[in-house]
Amino acid sequence: MANKGLDRVFNPRTVAVVGDKRAQDYFWLKSLTTFQGKAYSVQVDEGEIPGIKELGFENYASLLDIPEPVDYVIVSVPRKVAPLILEECIRKGVGGATFFTSGFAETDTQEGISLQNTLTEMAREAGFNLIGPNCMGIFNPSIGLRFSPMQYHGHGGKVAFISQSGTHTLLFSLVGEASGVRVSKSVSFGNAVVLDSPDYMEYFAQDSETKVLAMYIEGVKDGRRFYNTLKETASKKPVLVWKGGQTQDGARAASSHTAALATSQAVWEAMVRQVGAININDMDDLIDTIKALLHIKPIKGPRMGLVAMTGGQSVIISDAFAKAGFQIPEFTPESYRELASFIRLVGASYRNPLDVSWSLGSVDRAMRILHILEKDDNVDTIVLELNKTFLDEGVSLKKRKKFTTDLIRALGEFRERSSKSFFTIVIPANKEVEALNLSKALMEKGIASYPTFKRGAQALRRVADYYLARSV
Amino acid sequence: MKESAALNRALKEGRRHLTEVESKELLKEAGIPVIESRLARSKEEALSLAREMGFPVVLKVVSPSIVHKSDIGGVKLGLGGEEEVAKAYDEITASVRQNQPSASLQGVSVQRMARPGVEVIIGMNKDPQFGPVLMFGLGGVLVEVLKDVSFRIVPLTRRDASQMIREIKGFPILEGYRGQEPADIELLEDTILKLSDFVESHPQIKELDLNPIFAYKDGLAAVDARVVLEEEAGA
Repeated sequence: MANKGLDRVFNPRTVAVVGDKRAQDYFWLKSLTTFQGKAYSVQVDEGEIPGIKELGFENYASLLDIPEPVDYVIVSVPRKVAPLILEECIRKGVGGATFFTSGFAETDTQEGISLQNTLTEMAREAGFNLIGPNCMGIFNPSIGLRFSPMQYHGHGGKVAFISQSGTHTLLFSLVGEASGVRVSKSVSFGNAVVLDSPDYMEYFAQDSETKVLAMYIEGVKDGRRFYNTLKETASKKPVLVWKGGQTQDGARAASSHTAALATSQAVWEAMVRQVGAININDMDDLIDTIKALLHIKPIKGPRMGLVAMTGGQSVIISDAFAKAGFQIPEFTPESYRELASFIRLVGASYRNPLDVSWSLGSVDRAMRILHILEKDDNVDTIVLELNKTFLDEGVSLKKRKKFTTDLIRALGEFRERSSKSFFTIVIPANKEVEALNLSKALMEKGIASYPTFKRGAQALRRVADYYLARSV
Repeated sequence: MKESAALNRALKEGRRHLTEVESKELLKEAGIPVIESRLARSKEEALSLAREMGFPVVLKVVSPSIVHKSDIGGVKLGLGGEEEVAKAYDEITASVRQNQPSASLQGVSVQRMARPGVEVIIGMNKDPQFGPVLMFGLGGVLVEVLKDVSFRIVPLTRRDASQMIREIKGFPILEGYRGQEPADIELLEDTILKLSDFVESHPQIKELDLNPIFAYKDGLAAVDARVVLEEEAGA
């Protein structure tokens, strides 16, 4: 099997970049300035070598000249030279290589197709781990292995991402990090001529750093293999599948109803459901659902306990969760009695949703509310609105920072201790930057937060369906 | 596995569309409850079959080249006596000659008029990526309008069958909505699983519809069936 030894490729100690140049601002080498192992450059163009050395990389004329074994190679050469470099990779015995080089079958030209076939045959024959071509390859933040200088490095997360598209792989790392979702490892695999999505799935199914696997797929080469591997992987960890190209097939001339209705989209979604994976529609959906999987304790029932900051919001939060198929029951009489003993604000309501009327007041008061809902037998999941605008209004400027810090700490402790699923909705309103910072601070304490009620409700729906399907 | 006579006959004649009579024969062998249809090549045969089965009966045109029988006046329901059967026979043959004169007519099928139940559809189609896929949904003409259907890839487990039935929006109807007769859900699951086995062991079948199936609280019966073979099935 070609995918044996992927561990070496995803966790290399030595890396070489072949063909990086000034015209692309040495972005491969610049991406590797954070790499914790040893990174070499291979370049024969004399004019490029001073620029490479300036960046601090040793340069060699050939992979074969590098004085130690190489685990992973990034190939950024013109397509005509690609077979030659592949041959050197094979002779050098490197673990695997990403072919950033494009201009192959995706161009639909005779030359492109024929060059791609050459690469494929060479790699298959040698059992070589070829990633791509026409892709960005591997991102492993914990060892500083990046494919863009924009990407972060340092501690890695729990989510692996495999994608046919380089853009989505890059955006997933950037958007995810801004939302507190970090990558364990990811791979953009382009034309997938040798290693295909099932090979990467098999690798991440057994990768202990990866708790959740997400993927962006436009098409599969071997449907049955994809199906079987997805099924096997989804039995080990949550798998989220975002399918690109979701348009309806045109009306088909078919003699049976089944053939007419079985569009590729309908069958695809059924397939994902059948194996116990999660269908995803877009990037927000993907990141929202991952946050729910990683940070909300498994939901035990459909009954919500909602805390909103104003009357208007309490109506809208109910609508959002009801539309997503959840229930908003009455609290128990004990909860009402306890809430009524200290919520006396004019205009406040201690029914469900609980309306705190502009202000949580104090951290103690907020926590008292949450503890009552935690004890309430009518509630399975607790959602707290933290509307930055109202939150700030309720506390004097002097005390605001301490209040926020204390609240986040207390909420973190509550999430940790409570057996109920719990998350927050941080609505940015007119304080987008402050809200984003609050969300990040919450995520650092392991508390999921969503920018709208609707997104929170939909993310909860996704995981509720996931847990429900697994429990049957 | 022993191949059915119906399948062999179609293959030998180079036909890809099995008639209703042949389709039901094949599915009956697979253990799927069908309302038996028998071919009458003349009015006299139709009358004799109707007497044997007991009234009321249904007459349907049998022709490998006619796919949508009711569209061309090829189906007559609830025929209560001999006179009605004779008249229906004449009307069907006349209507076919007028609407599709090129159609090769084998005759008409005669079947017992089934007691109405909840109408569901179970079908199979081959997906270019994933191979055979089963479909379940509310059947009859509703399937065309509501498209309330679910899919699973073959082979199916009991859990898959159970989930695909419960996945459709119309599931409460199967549970007996507002005092209506419910459907035997477990039997529907059994039927889906039998069809999954059948499809796996018959790769020469390209698509099939059991539509409608009448589902009852204590049984079910496929009232109409359509089987289409692969192009190269005879090779």
